[in-house]
Formats: sequence, C-alpha cells, structure tokens
Amino acid sequence: MSKGVLVDITRCIGCRSCQVACKSWNDLPADKSEFSNSWDNPEKLSANTWTKVNYYLIEEEGQKLKWRFVKRQCMHCLEPACESACFTHSFVKTKEGAVIYKPTELNKDYCVGCRYCMIACPFGVPSFQWDKAFPYVLKCRFCYDRMKEDMEPACVSACLTGALKYGDRDELLAEAWERINTIPGYVKHVYGEKEYGGTSWLYISDVPFDKIGFRTEAFGKPVTTRSIPSLTWDVLKWTPALFFGWGAVLTIMRAYTKRRAEHIEESELFEPVDNK
Amino acid sequence: MFLIIGSNPAESHPMAMRHIGIAKGKGAKIIVVDPRFTKTAAQADIYVPLRPGTDISFLYGLMNYAIENDLYQHEYVQNYTNASYLISPDYHFEDGLFSGLEEKDGKLVYNTASWAYQKDGDNIRKDPTLQDPQCVWQILKKHVSRYDIKTVSNVTGTPEDTLLEAYSTYCESGKPDVAGNLIYVLGITQHSYGTQNTRATCMVQLLLGNVGMPGGGVNPQRGQSNVQGACDMGMLWNNITAYLAVPDATKHPTYQDYLDVTTPKTGYWSNTPKFVASLLKAWYGDKATRENDFCFDWLPKSDGKDHSHMSSYGSLEEGHIKGVFCWAENPSVAGPDASNEAKALEKADWMVCVDIFENETAAFWRRPGANPAEIDTEVFLLPAAHIYEKEGTRTNSARHIPWRWKAVEPPGQAKSDLWIADRLYKAIRKEYEDGGAFTDPILNITWDYDQQDNDEPDIEKIAIEINGYNIADGRVLGTFGDLKDDGSTACGVWVYTGYYYVDPQEQDPLLKVPATKRHGTEDKSGLNVYPKWTFVWPLNRRIVYNRCSADPAGRPWKKDKPLIYWDGAKWVTNDVPDFGIVNPVTKAPSPPEVTANAPFIMLPEGQGRFFNPSGLKEGPMPEHYEPVESPVKNPISSQQNNPMAMRWDGIFSKLAETGSEEFPYVATTVHYIEHYQTGVRTRNSPWLVELMPEQFATISPTLAANLGIKAGDDIIVSSARAEIKCKANVLPIVRPLIVNDSPVEIVSLPWHWGYTGLSQGDVGNNLTPFIGDANVAVPEYKAFLVNIRKA
Amino acid sequence: MQFGRFSFRLTGFRKLLILLVGIAAAVALWRFISGLGAVTNLSDEWPWGLWIGFDLLCGIALAGGGFSTALIVHVLHKDKYLPIVRAALLTSMLGYIIALVSLFLDIGRWFNFWRPFFYWGYHSVLFEVFWCIAIYTTVQVLEFGDIVFEKINFPSLKRILHGALPFLLILGIVLPSLHQSSLGSLYIVAVDRLYPLWWSMLIPFFFVWSAFFLGPAMVTIEGTLAARTYGREPELPIFSSLTKVTLWMLVIYLIVKIIDLVYRGVFSMAFNGSFESNMFLIEMILFIILPIIMYAMPSVRNKLGGVLTASILVVVGVVFNRVNVVFTGMAGAMGGSYFPSIWEWLMTMGMWSFLVLAYCFFVENFPIMAKEEYVHGSGHSIGTGTGFQA
Ligand SMILES: Nc1nc2c(c(=O)[nH]1)N[C@H]1C(S)=C(S)[C@@H](COP(=O)(O)OP(=O)(O)OC[C@H]3O[C@@H](n4cnc5c(=O)[nH]c(N)nc54)[C@H](O)[C@@H]3O)O[C@H]1N2
Ligand SMILES: Nc1nc2c(c(=O)[nH]1)N[C@H]1C(S)=C(S)[C@@H](COP(=O)(O)OP(=O)(O)OC[C@H]3O[C@@H](n4cnc5c(=O)[nH]c(N)nc54)[C@H](O)[C@@H]3O)O[C@H]1N2
Ligand code: SF4
Ligand code: SF4
Ligand code: SF4
Ligand code: SF4
Ligand code: SF4
Ligand SMILES: [Mo]
Repeated sequence: MSKGVLVDITRCIGCRSCQVACKSWNDLPADKSEFSNSWDNPEKLSANTWTKVNYYLIEEEGQKLKWRFVKRQCMHCLEPACESACFTHSFVKTKEGAVIYKPTELNKDYCVGCRYCMIACPFGVPSFQWDKAFPYVLKCRFCYDRMKEDMEPACVSACLTGALKYGDRDELLAEAWERINTIPGYVKHVYGEKEYGGTSWLYISDVPFDKIGFRTEAFGKPVTTRSIPSLTWDVLKWTPALFFGWGAVLTIMRAYTKRRAEHIEESELFEPVDNK
Repeated sequence: MFLIIGSNPAESHPMAMRHIGIAKGKGAKIIVVDPRFTKTAAQADIYVPLRPGTDISFLYGLMNYAIENDLYQHEYVQNYTNASYLISPDYHFEDGLFSGLEEKDGKLVYNTASWAYQKDGDNIRKDPTLQDPQCVWQILKKHVSRYDIKTVSNVTGTPEDTLLEAYSTYCESGKPDVAGNLIYVLGITQHSYGTQNTRATCMVQLLLGNVGMPGGGVNPQRGQSNVQGACDMGMLWNNITAYLAVPDATKHPTYQDYLDVTTPKTGYWSNTPKFVASLLKAWYGDKATRENDFCFDWLPKSDGKDHSHMSSYGSLEEGHIKGVFCWAENPSVAGPDASNEAKALEKADWMVCVDIFENETAAFWRRPGANPAEIDTEVFLLPAAHIYEKEGTRTNSARHIPWRWKAVEPPGQAKSDLWIADRLYKAIRKEYEDGGAFTDPILNITWDYDQQDNDEPDIEKIAIEINGYNIADGRVLGTFGDLKDDGSTACGVWVYTGYYYVDPQEQDPLLKVPATKRHGTEDKSGLNVYPKWTFVWPLNRRIVYNRCSADPAGRPWKKDKPLIYWDGAKWVTNDVPDFGIVNPVTKAPSPPEVTANAPFIMLPEGQGRFFNPSGLKEGPMPEHYEPVESPVKNPISSQQNNPMAMRWDGIFSKLAETGSEEFPYVATTVHYIEHYQTGVRTRNSPWLVELMPEQFATISPTLAANLGIKAGDDIIVSSARAEIKCKANVLPIVRPLIVNDSPVEIVSLPWHWGYTGLSQGDVGNNLTPFIGDANVAVPEYKAFLVNIRKA
Repeated sequence: MQFGRFSFRLTGFRKLLILLVGIAAAVALWRFISGLGAVTNLSDEWPWGLWIGFDLLCGIALAGGGFSTALIVHVLHKDKYLPIVRAALLTSMLGYIIALVSLFLDIGRWFNFWRPFFYWGYHSVLFEVFWCIAIYTTVQVLEFGDIVFEKINFPSLKRILHGALPFLLILGIVLPSLHQSSLGSLYIVAVDRLYPLWWSMLIPFFFVWSAFFLGPAMVTIEGTLAARTYGREPELPIFSSLTKVTLWMLVIYLIVKIIDLVYRGVFSMAFNGSFESNMFLIEMILFIILPIIMYAMPSVRNKLGGVLTASILVVVGVVFNRVNVVFTGMAGAMGGSYFPSIWEWLMTMGMWSFLVLAYCFFVENFPIMAKEEYVHGSGHSIGTGTGFQA
C-alpha cells in the first residue's frame, strides 16, 4: 500500500528537529543564512534543504495571536507533475508512494537538467544545484532508503510531538477525518486529499490553510483537483493523430496543387549576393 | 490542567512538550504565564502576559482568588499542610517586611525566632478549626488578601479579565479529582527572589491539592541534561553529595557536631548519620573506622561564607584566588555581567579548561577589547570527549538515571572527563607522595578504578561505589534502608542506592541488569509509571509524596486513576510508596489514619508548608519585591527590593536606578531551541547555525515604531554595565504592559552568542546585572533595565 | 576576408558582432566550468530565464517563417513566393541552431544531452518538443544541404538529398507544427499558476497559430533588412501579398482567443486593472488588433513603411506574448524575482550576433537570395499570380 504522512499543524511546535534530521540523514550541507525576523531560516527549500518549517504569526483584529509552524517538503503527489513532465523519465512514483529522482536514487543518470520538472511542480518543490558544474535536481525523497527497510522517514522519526505521522495514506486520510470530526477546532479540510489529484503528504490544521501558505485558491477559484499529468495528457494524446493526419493532409495538398504549378529550376533562380 | 509559568518547554524541553501535547489532545487545558508570547504560548488555551519579575503577585493573586471563591481543596489543606499550625505570637508583617529584621556586621539579616511554630514541649500547637489568628491559614489568608485582581493587574501589567480567566480555569484543579501540573523554570528562578518565586509555586499547588498526585506536582524542567545528576553528585558548593551539607569549620568542628546540627529529629533526614558514615566509608575505605569518626577530620571544612558562582568571581576579582579550573562550563558567556567576569579571570595565575571546544572562557584572553600582551594568566586547554564518546549516566528532571553507552570514539587526543579526573588525581597523589602540608586525605582516599587492558577507569566500579555496597561481602545494596551508621556499609550517593542493583526477582533476562540499564516498557497502572524503565531516585519512586494522592482515609482522590490506596485491609500500590505501608516492627499494614500524618516525608513536620518557620533568607513566606533594576516603584509596599538580595562591590556593582530614564526598558534573557546555552556546541554545528545564524533582540512593534527601528536593523542594546550590537527582531510576541497607568516595554534577548566558533556575536550577558538571589545566589538574568538605539 | 572559395567582408559593425560572439563563447566556457548559478540569475523560483524564455521560445517562434513559407510555397505551390523561401529557410535554420545552442547552454547536465534519445519520457510535452526540434533541425540542415551542394560539387550526395526532399519538406512542416504547439503545451502544467489570460487548454493552438502567422511578418522584416544591407530593392509586392495570409490568421487568432476567454469565464480578468491584465491588453490591442487594421488597409500594406511597421508589430507581438507567458503570467505564482544577469544578456547578444554573421556569410556565399531580375525585372512573372485570396 502506498505510504503517506499526516501533518497535524495543531501539534507542531516549530522545533525543527525534522528539518535538521533531514539534513543529517541525507547528508545535506548547511547553507549560510542571515538573520530572519520570523526566525525560520534558511529562507526556502533548496537543493541543500529538502524540508523546512515556515513560521506564521497570525495577528487578526479581535482575535488572539496565533503562531503556527508548517513543515514543507515534496508532497509526493499521487500523480506527480514532475514525473510526467520529465522527458527522460528521471522522476518516478514508486509503488511505495515515494516520488524519487532516479539519478541519485537508482543510479540511472538520464537527467539533462532542463528543469522543466521545476516548472511543472505545482508546489515549487524540486530544487537545482545552481552552484555545481555537474548539478542534480534535488528534493525530498521520502527517505526512500528507509521506506524500503520499513522505517519511517528521518523527519518523522525526529518529530517529538506527533505532528508528523507516517503510515498508509488511506489510513492516514481516514484518521485525518476522524480527528477533524472528533476534536473541535479543525478546519474541515484535508489539504492534499484532492489537490492536484491528491498527494501522499496530507495536512490538517486549525487555521485556514490560506493563512499558512497553502494555495487553496488560484485566481478566485479553488485549485484544481485534476492531476497535472492528466491535463497534459489530454493534449498530448493527440500527437500521433496529428502527426500522421497533418502529414497526410499536406501530402495530398502538395500533390493536388503541384498539378497547377509551373516547374521552376530553383538553381536558376538564386545566387549569392555580392557584398562589396 | 497545566500552569506553565516562566518556562518555555516548546523551545527548552521539547520532549516534555510532547507529553503536554498528548494531554492536550485528551482535553487538558494549558495556561502559559510569560512576558513573551512563546512557542509554548502558541499551544496554550490561555496566554497570560506579565511583566518580568512579578510572578509572586500573579501566584498570590491566584491563591487569593481560590481562597475568596472557596475553590481550594479543603481536605488536603487541612490534613497535608501546616495550615493549622500556630506561629509564634511575635510574628508580624508590615509594609513588605517581616518581623525580626536586624543589622549584623553592617548587613541586614532576619532573626527567625518570631517565625517559629508554637510548641508544647516537642509538640507543635495546632488549631484544626483554622480559626486562630496566629495559625498559618489565617496568616496566609491575610497575607495574600492584599493581592486582589486589581492590585495584581497593576503590578504584573496583565489585563484583569485575562487574570480572571486564568485563575478561574486553574482553580478547577482545586477539585479533589482534578490534577493541576505546574511547570516552571528560569522565568521563576532567575530573580533576586527566585527561591521565593519557587516557594509561591509550591504554595499554589498545596492550596489546590496538586502535590503527590499523578499528573500534578511542582515541576521544574531542569536545565542541562544532567544538571540534576550534577547536583546529586555534590557539585553544589554547599553540599558534599546527595544534599549532605558541606562541613563548616565553626558550626561542625567534630563528627558528632556535624551529625547533631545537620540531623533533624523527625522526617527521613533523621537517617543522616547512616548516609554520612557510609559516604566516608566509600571515600576512605579501611582507614575509616568508628573510632576515628570515619576520618571526618580529613574532610575540608568551609569557612561559612558564600562560595557560589558569583561570590567566587568576586573573590577572584579581589585577588583571593590564584588558579581556576573551568570544567565543562563557559562563564565568559553564561555568567552575569560576563565581560567583567572575564576581566576577573585576568587576576588568576593559571586556568585549566576542560572542554570539547575552545570556548569563550578558554579564549578570554583574546576576547574583543582585551590585549593579550597584558594578560599573564596561563591557560591550559584539555580536550574532553563529548557526551556520545563516553559511557555513564545522566539524571533528568524527573530523577530518571538512564545509562548511556558510548557510541563513537573521541577524536584526536580527547579523553573522557573521567579519564581526565583520574589522571589528575593520580598526578596530585604523586606530588604528595614526597610529603606535603596535609597528605592523609590525599594519600588514603580509595581510588582503585584501574582496569586491565583498558586506559579508561572502570566505570562499573564507580557506579557500585555510588550505589553503595555491603563492605563484608561486597553485595550491591538495593535500598538505602540498608545503610548503616556503624561502618558496615559504603555508599557514595545515598539517594542513588538501588540504581545499580540487579533485581533477583526479575524473570526477563533482558531486565536482569542493573536497574539503571533497564528498558522495560510495562505500565500496569496505565498512569505512565513504567517502573522498569531505568531507575528513578529515590528507590525507584516515580511520584514523590504519593501518600497525598489519596485522601486521609486512603481513598484515591482520582477514583479512576488510583496511584496508591487503602483497600480496607492493606495498601495497593502502583508506585513505590513514599511512606511506611507496614509497621516496621509488627509488619502489619499501617492504616490510613497513621500514614496520613506525615505525607511529606522529607520535612521534619511531615506536612507541606505554606509558612516556613525556619524561613528562607528574606522571610517565611514570599512577598512581592521589584527586581533590583526596575522601571517602577514597588506598587505593593515601600520596600522596593528584596532586602537580602546578594550584591557585590567594585567592578560588579554597576546598576541602573529605579525608574531610570537612561535605561527605560525591561529586558529579559531567554533560551532558544536552536542553540544550547553558551552555544559552544550549537554555534559550532553548521546545521544549527543555519537555523539561527545571528544574535538578535526582540522588541515590540510599538517600540520599534517609536525608535524608528525596522526588523533586521543593527541595534545597540545597552545597560548600566555594557552595550552589545545585534539585529532588531520586531514581533508582536512582546507587547508593552501597562503598569501604574504607563506602558512598560519589554526586550527579550537570547544569550547564546560569543566570540568563538562558527557563528559569533556579542555576549548577551555583558548586559546582565551582578545580582544574586538571597538564598541560592542565582543571578537576576530575567529582569533588568536596558536602552536601545539604532547602530 | 577570403578563405578558400568563401569570402567574408569585415566591416566595423561585423567586428563588433564577432567581439560579442567571442565574449559569449567565453561566458559559455565559464558557465560550463562553474555551473549555472555563477553566470545566471536563475533560481529555484525562476528555473527558466532569458535563454529559455527568449532565445529558445522566441527564437523558435521567430523561426516560424521557415515552415509557414514552406507550407505556402512547397505545399500550396504559391510559387510567387518562391524568391523568399530560401532566405526564410536559412533564418529558420539559424534560429533553430541558436535555440539548440542556448538549450545546450541552459541544461544543467549538458553532458547528458543525448540521453533523451534513449530514455523515453513520452508522457512529457518536452519529449515531443525535443524530438521534433531535433529532427526538424536535421531536416532543415538537410534541406539546406540541398542548397549548399549547388555551390559545392558533390553530386552523389546532392542526388540523394534531392530525392529525399519531398519527404523532408512534408516532415519539415509537420514537425514544427507539432512542436510549435507543444511549446505552448509546456505551460499546461502551469495550471493555477500561469495567469488565466494566458493559461488555457488551447495554448498549443495559440502557439502554433501565432508561430505560423509570424512567418510572413518575419520574412518581410528580414527581406527588408537584407535588401537594405545589400543595397537591393525590397520584395514589396511579395510582402504586401503575404499580408493577406497574416491578416486572416490574426483575425482567427483574435476570435478564438475571445471565445476561449469567455468560455473559461475569465474574460473580465482582462479588465481588472492588474499588471497582468494590462500587459494582456497591450498584447491584444497593440500587437493583434492594430496589425489587423493596418493589414486590412491597402494604403498601408502596399507601402513598404506600412507593411514593415505592421510586420514589426506582429513579430514583437509574438515575442511579447511568449515573454508574457514565461514571465509576466508566472510572476505572481513563482515568488522571488528574476532579471537576467549581465552574463545572460551577453550570451544572448552573442548568439544573436552569430545569427546575423552566419546569415550574412551564407547569403554572400551561397545562392539564397533570388536574382534581382526575377523579383523586380518581371515582378509577377513567376507563380500563378493570383495570390492567396482563396
Ligand atoms: N534548546 C535548548 N534547550 C535547553 C537549553 C538551551 O539553551 N537550549 N537550556 C537548558 C537549561 S540549562 C535550562 S535551565 C532550561 C531553561 O529553560 P526555560 O526556563 O524554559 O528557558 P528560558 O527561555 O530562559 O525561560 C523561560 C521563559 O521565561 C520567560 N520569562 C522571563 N522572565 C520571566 C518572568 O519574570 N516571569 C515569568 N513567568 N516568565 C519569565 C521567558 O520569556 C521564557 O519564555 O532549558 C534547558 N533546555
Ligand atoms: N543571561 C542568562 N544567562 C544564563 C542563563 C539565562 O537564562 N540567561 N541561563 C543560565 C543557566 S540555566 C545555565 S545552566 C548556565 C549554563 O552555563 P554553562 O554551563 O557555562 O554553559 P554551557 O554552554 O552549557 O557550557 C558548557 C561547556 O561545557 C562544554 N562541554 C559540553 N560537553 C562536555 C563534556 O562532555 N565534557 C566537558 N569537559 N565539556 C563539555 C561545552 O563545550 C561548553 O563549553 O547559563 C546560565 N546563564
Ligand atoms: S510536489 Fe512537486 S516534486 Fe513533489 S511529487 Fe508533486 S510534483 Fe513532484
Ligand atoms: S531537469 Fe532532469 S528530472 Fe527535471 S525534467 Fe529535466 S531531465 Fe527531467
Ligand atoms: S522524508 Fe526524508 S527526505 Fe523527505 S523531508 Fe523527511 S527526512 Fe527529508
Ligand atoms: S519535528 Fe515535528 S513538531 Fe518539530 S517542527 Fe518538525 S513537524 Fe513540527
Ligand atoms: S534532553 Fe535531549 S532529547 Fe530531551 S528534549 Fe533536550 S535535546 Fe531533546
Ligand atoms: Mo540551566
């Protein structure tokens, strides 16, 4: 069964053990950072930072001050845009649920570094090693090495509050709804259940998702629940038909109009220009 | 129900936060009392902002509210506390001062005679009706009645409705079957009246009947992972091990004097002679005999003066100390008025630092502004092995003593602290072998920890010595009840007895190991007691004073979660009982009436103290004083500060005056999760430096606006002692509080930075005042005055 | 400058261009040694910048002249346009080569450039783009080879090429049709991120259509420029007659666009005053509607100045559209900011300088341009002369 992680925002204390555990397990270097007023360094996900906790201090008129901490990483989409976008098929969604990058994970080094996967990812996750002459595209790999050994991801094992829970996605989804329905205060929504066709990482929260950096709406409409691969496929599937159809039409047209055309000897018609 | 006051477990004790979170999931309410809206406050149901240094007012307000609205736990107060005890008719309290204040040698001290219990012979006089005006209950009521909501709000700056909400919520735990868990740390302790703050937390818990209850208690989330262990091992300047007093040359010239003075007649401490004799046997072996007072005379004696951290630096500065051992500490960052502490080190001829890094103290001679050419102190740096590079135990806040195995070899020349101590002793002994002033204690100490084929001292031998053993047959003891005062037993740390004992009843081979090494996860009672998970001192007792978890008749207050109860014929226990469940002579079960008398086994009177007759230095009960540096006059009394607060002269005397215009803002210093203490370990870890790269100070948006400061600007924070440069952190987690009708701005700053390591920054403690709590000399790190300007 | 039988005259301007090419070569070298981060301002928020957004997307669109003239001349046999066909092919080919070079520079793992031939991520739009462009560039080189061998004597090869030409011609139209549209389809993944005025399931249509109608406009500009450069008469009659193709295609483009916006319910977004909506309005009014009007007026389209201005508008419009898709429309969702670094600019300038130099070289050494007497001596003597009115 496909694995997932349930992130319960109400339980996260922003300790960032997960963030450090990820670097530790995956041998990722630290980047040089600068003071950040919100404290949540480094600034963003990068090739060296596959997960980070964002801090949101929410001050609203007439309401108590709220402070929420949101761990971000690859969502491990059920139908990943990055996988479908890659023309060398360098990303793959494994049966266990992890979306992994083959060059570093399976030693299948096809990636050309075109970064279309980065454009494609709706969550802006994959990162590029900009400073390397021989760079890779890197992102959270759902600790695939641990997953295969039946261990939970490093970040989950480091999370002391239970804000992160690893398990079968289906069961986690059920548990998410169970919590929402039995414990008061939750927003009635599991982020990742349906967004972009669904993701393996699921989030529940007691503050509206749009206040803590999730895109729930795009241009005034709820974000799509269709997977990106299915959208592109709607167009791509016409390619063979177009290729042969259009080719046939052109050939016929050419044959038809040729009868009316004069014959001109092209080599007579052209000459090099003289640029003296 | 949690009252978290002056503690920020989400940053400082995240593992505790896990359990708080689990309780919250089951419906527990969380109240956080803190000048800052912390990450812990973010998880709270009620957040109570208050001005640094005003916790006694807050807690007294709570007690007053509970008493006035009759929300306290009557039966508990009546039976388990000293509420009914009568106090000397001479006792009185007026305008912030207790009776008995006198001047002695130019210093103010209290004569505690008027705080004593009234006695009939050996018996304390009591009034079970609690009506006598001299009974503790009436004195308490009167004392706290001055802290009504309005007054408290004016002192703490907390809005009245927030106070009311917090009070009424927490008073729920006054119901017999509701436990209230009070958690505190440095926000309570680091004040010139820190000990009294702590007393106030205890009094609240007694009043609401929350001590000895599963899920209740007064819970300091102690600091360093082994700070508890360090205290148990006698690292405090005024005790040897396991809280036995350091012998005093004038008070205890002889062994018998020592025993007479330090042994109370009642309570568990009446066994002191057994502990001391066993300790001396452990140290001096065969040389210690009954006849020679177990070599008591060999022990160094104290001159009776204060030798706490600050006093030591005072002495250093005055030139009384020639050499300094700085072993696993970093006072040049951690100490109050740190730049002057570093300056005081210049007076030493030599200094040895035993550390895993060259920390700021080891590098004090090249600190910013110092001229190495002018500093003659010779500094030795001995590289130590880090926590994962050696074996041993550490003792946590809940007194668990888990064994920890070595994970990796230390790098380079680094050696375990034990190895270093061992070689140090051997080197000293070698020096004394050729004679010296007083060689006996040095040459005769038992020191045979060598192992074959291994460079390291044998830690098992040390563990057994700490645990205690029978001298005749070397049998490892299971309980300190077996310790004798006749020299037949040896024991290094009596409270640890049993921790290295292998339970012969144990069937599971995995658990048939010394108690400290057990990893059993069984929890029969469902109360998260886990009796087979390592060892908890004393005697593997998980919840101390657990007689209080049942009513005087032995019925559990919490029917559904009984810890210990009387089933009509005998006691049923889910934890090691903290009282004699059987009569020691007849072996018959002790009925509830008998055991209800003295549930607080460590106190001579056996009952919880609202009123402390022997007193702390500044009184038998807490009273609100202003921090030594305060922006306001004391709104409660005309006694501005704690009259007993410890102060020093010379370079350590610089203070801002009350209501200073030069330093108008109240500052407090805080810990962050990303860095550990003086940051030596964490500021050298790239991953952690990445998380929190620079020193900063948090100010409110209003203060930032007033001063024209933007987030991320470089600012100068100055105090009467020094100034530091850091980044401005502007967040609404601190907000001005209204005291005496005018706003008090609060500045909070981490103190983790220094001038060595990967991430460097100005030392926050350069700003803090050199002021100590009257009783334990903890520095007043949590409330002082500063100014701020743009750099 | 003379080498062998080829000659290349060095003017001051050309020296400048050569210098730019040289600088770009140095930048390219640096980029390979030190990685993209050192040379570009690209970031994880902006993984694609000037080289992809302009050199590749616009380069290929601008090279649309190749396939649209090929379609008109070789398939529809509108032979009156024959004189321009070779020049169009040349620019198109150079455009593609530049696109490929910039792509090669831009891909982080250039040493793996050949991998996609062997590992098929067929569910990727990029897969289609890659294959089409690769084959099409080859086709163009082969087509062009046919011309080159007019000058260089290599009869056997020429024969083979000539024989394959009909097939290559068809392929040379089918492939660009596919990948021009696919370049648009690339942005289908940007659903909910690309501003809805540009994001559409029809974006492949808009891309291929615009690449097509851009062809004649491009030919007009190039032709005029070449004529100016070489002191010849511009082929004005051909240009004005080509406008009819463009005109109708523009009109259809506009209509489909409006229908699409209305159908998706985002028409009103064009007038919401946002930066995106304003950019969109400029794109539509200045670069679609205005050219339509200009082309529709004989008084404008029959004058060189008029037809040239309108064509410039069309070409700039397509570039503007691509830039809007890649940058304007994505900015809101991408976060961060991007402005090309000096090195990126230098690289781009170097590449386009190379294009100009190569164009000149080929035109001066190979039979690319029609002999002047054919074009102007007897204006309409070639072809059916009926134009493209049907
Ligand atoms: N990651 C990490 N963990 C640590 C440490 C560390 O440095 N880093 N240090 C360890 C050590 S040794 C210790 S002692 C503990 C310290 O643990 P804590 O005591 O939790 O740490 P602090 O941040 O010093 O203080 C706690 C809170 O007290 C508040 N406070 C300040 N003044 C007052 C006041 O007057 N009244 C009240 N009610 N609150 C006040 C502060 O705003 C702060 O939020 O943490 C231990 N754990
Ligand atoms: N302003 C302000 N000052 C404070 C506080 C505050 O809240 N505010 N908090 C105070 C508190 S609660 C505390 S506990 C103190 C802490 O003050 P310190 O104990 O001085 O601080 P640490 O950083 O823990 O210093 C420990 C040193 O031990 C070294 N070390 C670590 N492990 C080992 C080891 O295994 N062996 C040896 N030999 N060395 C080792 C470290 O490298 C470091 O140099 O600071 C106090 N200072
Ligand atoms: S979040 Fe992005 S990178 Fe992760 S699986 Fe989905 S599309 Fe791929
Ligand atoms: S950068 Fe690599 S993984 Fe991403 S789309 Fe391109 S080839 Fe695939
Ligand atoms: S799953 Fe593994 S790779 Fe992903 S964020 Fe967690 S620790 Fe990092
Ligand atoms: S480890 Fe858990 S609690 Fe800590 S920041 Fe990560 S998700 Fe939150
Ligand atoms: S003692 Fe260790 S495990 Fe416990 S909270 Fe502190 S750092 Fe975490
Ligand atoms: Mo501490």
